[in-house]
Amino acid sequence: MGREAQPFVAFGFASVHDALEAEDVLRGDGIPATPIPPPKELGATCGLALRVCPDDAALADESMSAAGKPPISRADFLDL
Amino acid sequence: MSDSAATVGAARRIYLDHGATSYPKPPEVIDAVVNAMREHGANPGRGAYRMALSATRLVFEARRSLAELMGAPDARDVFFLSGCTEGCNLMLKGLLSAGDRVVVSSMEHNAVSRPLHALGDAGVEVVVVDADRAGLVNVEAMESAVRAAPTRAVICQHASNVTGAVQPIADLADIAHENGALLLVDGAQGLGHLDVDVSTLDVDAYACSGHKGLLGPQGVGILYLRPGLDARELLQGGTGGGASEEPAQPMGRPERYEAGTPNTPGIAGAGVAARLLLAHGSEWREEEQRLFRRLKEGLLEIEGVTVFGPATDEECVPICSMVSDKLEPDRIAFMLDRTAGVAVRSGLHCAPWAHRTLGTLETGALRFGVGHGNTDADIDVALGALAEILR
Repeated sequence: MGREAQPFVAFGFASVHDALEAEDVLRGDGIPATPIPPPKELGATCGLALRVCPDDAALADESMSAAGKPPISRADFLDL
Repeated sequence: MSDSAATVGAARRIYLDHGATSYPKPPEVIDAVVNAMREHGANPGRGAYRMALSATRLVFEARRSLAELMGAPDARDVFFLSGCTEGCNLMLKGLLSAGDRVVVSSMEHNAVSRPLHALGDAGVEVVVVDADRAGLVNVEAMESAVRAAPTRAVICQHASNVTGAVQPIADLADIAHENGALLLVDGAQGLGHLDVDVSTLDVDAYACSGHKGLLGPQGVGILYLRPGLDARELLQGGTGGGASEEPAQPMGRPERYEAGTPNTPGIAGAGVAARLLLAHGSEWREEEQRLFRRLKEGLLEIEGVTVFGPATDEECVPICSMVSDKLEPDRIAFMLDRTAGVAVRSGLHCAPWAHRTLGTLETGALRFGVGHGNTDADIDVALGALAEILR
């Protein structure tokens, strides 16, 4: 049985502190986000990225920016 | 000293050296330190597995708590260091360069005076302005010194570790900023004993200790740097970031100033201590001030004792020093410990500049520091024992 692909969007941050602040913002806005090791596609970021469902990505981006905690990079993934 | 007196002293423990460090620590702080080691033992900021994340969150929450306690609007401007000494070194060596001129009070601790001595050797001009005999900085004299020549920084403690005098930091901030200088503060004796708000005080840098008035464990210090103030970091190294391929230290805060694995258990304890002070600080400060007044008034009643510090009705942190015309400070300290179990410190308290200001550089003095956990009985036993020794 093959693995079912679960697309996701990852956001990168300048610092771990920023990543956890952004996670707090998303939690407050009811947007599920999971801290993950940063995929290399995010470029030079801190040691934590936030993983969100593609359907929530635009809202998440908007929510973080509105709170003054915007990510510094974003990448879309199709794998697990 | 009789053998029986020594036995009494050995059995009893009255801690009045809170100027050096607080003791005992609140149980919540001890639990936080142990819990960090037992349950969150991974390296914060290094890895995204669950235990690393829990350690990372622990440091994150502690930083937020310290920022809230200090009135720092953005927790990223608050850095965890090994102690207040490292914080003083960072703000001084990170911001001063050869050719700079600084104005500093004569009450500073070696955590400031020794880095300034080293910077003096490196071409920084250091102008020392005398405080008065209570250890209070003279604002007019500081202003005159600042106006005398272009000045990069005004440097002052928030409170004296020898006399307890609380310095006019907000006035010094005005003087510094009106003259294009920075105000850099050694807050080792401030945080916890005073209501510290770095925004209201308008300081550019504020270094403080985690283990004195804050009531956290030793091995943690905190430095606040105003946003945008570009201090050179003292250390370069790993910061756990994904930009590890970059040869240069990252410039982002707080990582720039926190190279290497942090003292996670200590930071956890400091964070919980900050929460305790946010909840109970006013009440605890009121009680330690009441006990301190009781102590100081008692000291002043003992014949032949001279107490250094502001008048009892003036603002001060709960520290004062004394000398007696009957016995040297080191002998009194020894006798207090061995006959009554009272822990106080004699000598220069790592502050020779301050003792020179007070006229006690040759003799040193005996320092009392009151803090959280002390009781009326502690004060009464200490005063009674001192009166007996000096009888």
